[in-house]
Amino acid sequence: MTLPFFAYTLLFMFLPAGSVLIGAFEGTTHGYTMSNVTTLFHHPYIDAFKTSIEISGTTALIGGAVGLAVAYAAIREGTPRWVRSALTTFSGVAANFGGIPLAFAFISTLGPLGIITVFGRNHGWDPTEHGFNLFSKTGVELAYMYFQLPLMILVIAPAIDGLRKEWREASSNLGASQLQFWRYVGVPVLMPSLLGAIILLFGNAFAAYATAYSLTAGTVNIVPILIGAYYSGNVLNNPHLAQAMAFGMFAVLAVMMVLYIPLQRRAARWAK
Amino acid sequence: MRPTRRIAPTAVIWLLIAFGYFFIPLIATFLFSLKSNQTGHCCTAANYSWVVHSSAFWHTLKISFLLALETIAISLALFVPTIYWVHLRVPKLRPVIAFLALIPFVIPPIVMVVGLLKFFKGTPSWFYAQPWGFLAGAYVILAFPYMFFSLDAGFRSIDVHTLTEASQSLGARWGTTLVKVILPNIRSAALAGSFLTLAIVMGEFTIANLSAFNTFPIFIQYVNESQGFPAASLTLLSFGITWAAMLSLLVVGRKRGQRAAVVAGAR
Amino acid sequence: MEDHEEQEVEFWRKLREEGMSRTQMLKRSVAAAAGLTVLSGSGAAWARGAAVAPPLKGKGFSMKELIAESKKEGHLNTIALPPDWANYGEIMSTFQKKYGIGITNDNPDGSSAQENQAIVSLKGDSRAPDVVDVGPAFAVSGTAQGLYGKYFVSEFSTIPRSMKDTRGYWWGDYWGAISIGYNQNLISNPPKTFADLLKPEYKGKVAMNGSPLTSNSAVSGVIAAALANGGSTSNVGPGIDFFAKMKSSGNYIPVGTTSATVASGQTPISIDWDYNNLAYIAEFPAARWAVNIPADGVYGGYYAQAINATAPHPWSSRLWEEFLYSDQGQLLFLKGFAHPARFNDLAKRNVIPKALLTALPAASIYAKVKFASLGQQTAAKALIATQWPSKVGS
Repeated sequence: MTLPFFAYTLLFMFLPAGSVLIGAFEGTTHGYTMSNVTTLFHHPYIDAFKTSIEISGTTALIGGAVGLAVAYAAIREGTPRWVRSALTTFSGVAANFGGIPLAFAFISTLGPLGIITVFGRNHGWDPTEHGFNLFSKTGVELAYMYFQLPLMILVIAPAIDGLRKEWREASSNLGASQLQFWRYVGVPVLMPSLLGAIILLFGNAFAAYATAYSLTAGTVNIVPILIGAYYSGNVLNNPHLAQAMAFGMFAVLAVMMVLYIPLQRRAARWAK
Repeated sequence: MRPTRRIAPTAVIWLLIAFGYFFIPLIATFLFSLKSNQTGHCCTAANYSWVVHSSAFWHTLKISFLLALETIAISLALFVPTIYWVHLRVPKLRPVIAFLALIPFVIPPIVMVVGLLKFFKGTPSWFYAQPWGFLAGAYVILAFPYMFFSLDAGFRSIDVHTLTEASQSLGARWGTTLVKVILPNIRSAALAGSFLTLAIVMGEFTIANLSAFNTFPIFIQYVNESQGFPAASLTLLSFGITWAAMLSLLVVGRKRGQRAAVVAGAR
Repeated sequence: MEDHEEQEVEFWRKLREEGMSRTQMLKRSVAAAAGLTVLSGSGAAWARGAAVAPPLKGKGFSMKELIAESKKEGHLNTIALPPDWANYGEIMSTFQKKYGIGITNDNPDGSSAQENQAIVSLKGDSRAPDVVDVGPAFAVSGTAQGLYGKYFVSEFSTIPRSMKDTRGYWWGDYWGAISIGYNQNLISNPPKTFADLLKPEYKGKVAMNGSPLTSNSAVSGVIAAALANGGSTSNVGPGIDFFAKMKSSGNYIPVGTTSATVASGQTPISIDWDYNNLAYIAEFPAARWAVNIPADGVYGGYYAQAINATAPHPWSSRLWEEFLYSDQGQLLFLKGFAHPARFNDLAKRNVIPKALLTALPAASIYAKVKFASLGQQTAAKALIATQWPSKVGS
C-alpha cells in the first residue's frame, strides 16, 4: 500500500532534490569542492542562518502556543459550532497569505503611515517614537504570525478533537483546576501532535521567502533571501553557493528531526 | 456535572484577539482598495471593477482552482493509504516519513523548480508543457508536509487497530475498510489537509513562474507590481474567493460524513 | 504605400497630436499585454525547420522577406518585460498590431538571471523565450554560456561601441540615470540631491526599488550615492556608508517600491531609474509624483537585447530586434522616458519630436552621466554583497 507513495516521492522529490544537494559540492568549473559549504560559516552567511533560525523558532513557539489557545477556544464546549467552521476555513486561506499582499497589508496597518500608527500618533502615543519598527526582525516575526497561527490552528484542531470532554469533566470532578488539567492531562496527551505541529511551523517559517523580502527589501538577512539573490537575482550569480545554502537548510532541519524523534517517542508513551 | 452551555470567558478573549489580529490588516487593505487613482481619496468601486472585468483574472482563476482540486485528489489518494498502513502495521516507519515530509521545506522552490525542469525535460509534452501534469506533480510534493502532519494528527486521534479489526471481522476487505470506515473518521484531518493544499496551490508563485505557466498567483503578482490600488482589491477578492472555495469543500465534506459509522473514539 | 509604412505615418501623426492621455494608452497596453499573455498559445514553428535560414546581418536583407517568414511563425515569446518599464507595454502592442504577430510575455517581473535560466531550462520547448532584455553582466555571462545567437541589426553601426558586443551577441537597447521621485502631497520640500535625503524631515520616507543584493536598480542607487559622497564607480564604499547613515537615522525604509506603494503613499520618496519614476507621474495622478535627477550623483546604466540561440521563433526574434532598433522603436523607448541606445544618432538627424525631449529632465544634467565598466560593476556588487548585510541589514 505504500509503494505508490515511495515511487512518487522518488520521482518528484528525491531525484530533483538530489541534483541540488550534489550541486552544493560542485565548483564553478568542473570537479567537486567543499569550498561552497565552508564559505557558509563566514559572515554574512552564518548570520543569515542565525537570523533564520531565530525567526523560525520564535514564530513556531509563539505561534504554536497562541494557535493552541485559539483553536481550543473555538472547539471547546460552549462555543457555537459556526465559530469553528469560520475559523478553520479562514485559517486555510490565511495560512497561505503571504508575500507582497501580506507585506502591503501590514505596511498599511503598522507602517510609518499605517492606520494604527496614524491613529496612535493622533491620540498621543506614536509607536515609531517608542522604537517600534515594522521593517525589522520583529516586524517580520509579527507578519509571519499571520500564516503561522492559522497553520497551527488547522493542524492541532483534529488532535484537540481527540481530547475527550469526559476527561475534562472527570478532572474537574476530582477537584483539579484548569491549569492542572492542562498540565497533567491536556498537554501530555497532545504532546506528540504538538511537537509535530511545531516542527511544521518551524519548517514553514524557515522556508518562507516572499513576505520577508517584500517587507524589508531583503535587509533582514535570512537564508532563502540569500539563496534567491545568489541563484536568480539581478545582481549576484553563484548557483553553487546557493545550492550549498540549500544544503545548509537541509542540515538544520535534519538536526531538528533528530531531536524530534526521541522527544516524540517519550510523548507517545502517554497515548494508548 | 457543571453546565457548559455558554461560551467560556477565556475563549471569548482568545477569539477576540485572533479576530483583531487577522482582520485589522484586511481592513487597512480594504480602505486602500476604495481609493481612486485620480484623487487618492475615497470612494470608488473602479478598482474592483477593473479586476472583475479583466479576462486574465477569470482565466487564471479557473486554471488554479482546477489545479488545486487535482492536487488534492492525488495527494489524498497517495497519502491516506500510506499513513494508514504506517499507523496500522509499520509504526517504525513513521519518523522516516515525517523526516521525508520536511524535505520540501528545505529545498526552496527556486532551487527545486530548476531540478524538476532539468529532470523532466525529455518527457512528452502532454505532461511537461501542461499545468495538469508537471505543475500538479510538483504541487503534490509541496502539499506533502501539510497533508502528512494533518493526516498524522487525525490518525492519532482515532483507534486505528480497533476500527480495522471490527471492520474486517464484519467481513469487509481493505478497500471497503479504508473508504467506508477509516476515511469518515479522519474527515476533519483530511479536510484540514485539503484546505491547506487548496491554499498552497492558489498561492504558489515561484514554481509556476519559472516554468512559464500562467496561474492565478502569477496574475496577482503581476497586478501587485504594476497596478496601484487595484492590487488591494485583488488581494481581498482572492482572499474571499479562496475562503468561499474552502467553505464549499467543508459543505461537501460534511454531506458525505453524515453517513459515517462511528465505532470507537471520537466524542 | 505598403501597410506598415502607412502605420508609421499614422504613428508620427498620433505622436504629434498626443490626443490620447498617457494613462489611457498605458492602461490599454497593460490590458493588451495581460490579455495576450493569457490568450495566445504558442506556435510549433521551431519544429518546422525553415527552408531559408535566418540571416546573420539585418542590413541588406529584405525586410519584406523577414516579415513574411515571421508571419509564418506567427508568434513571439518575450520574458521579463514589465509593461510600464520603458514603455514596453506600448512597444509590445505596437509590434503586435503592426505585424499581426502575437506576443506571450512570460514572468513580467523576472530578473536577468531568471531570463538566462529560462533559456536553459525551457530549451527545446515552444514556451522558451525568443529574446531577452538583461543587465550587462548577465549579457556577458549568457554569451559565455553560449545562450545567445549572433545577429547584427540593420542599425548596428549607430549603437555606441561601449554598449554592444562587437561579435554580435548582444546590444544595448536603452539607458537611464538614477533619479529621486517624490510624492508632492506628502513632501513639501523637494529633495534635489543625495545630500538632501539625509534631512530629518524625510524620516521614514526614502525607499529604493528593491534590495541591492537582488535588484539592479538598487545597486545603481548605491553607486550613485557613492558618486555623491566622494566615491567613484570603482569605489562604492561611500555609497554603502551613506545608506547605513540613512538607515540608522530612520530616513531609509527598506521597503521595495512597487506601483502600490507609490500610489498609496507608503513610499513617499523612491530612488529608482528615471524612466520608472517619470512613468509614475502619469500613471498615478493622485500621488502628484515629481522627479529630480540628483545633481551630485548622476549614474547611468543600460540594458541589453539578445536572441536565444535555440529560439522557437528565430525569424520573429530578428523582426523584433529590427523593430526595437528602428527609429520608431527607439522613439517608443524615449516616450517611456528611457534614453534609447541610438539617441545621439537620432538627435544628429533631428528626428526626435520636441515633446519627447521636453518631457525629460534637462539635457545638461544628463551630460554629466557616468557609467561603470563591467569590471567596476562586478567589484561594486561584490563589495555590496559583503558589506550591505552587516552595515545596513538588521
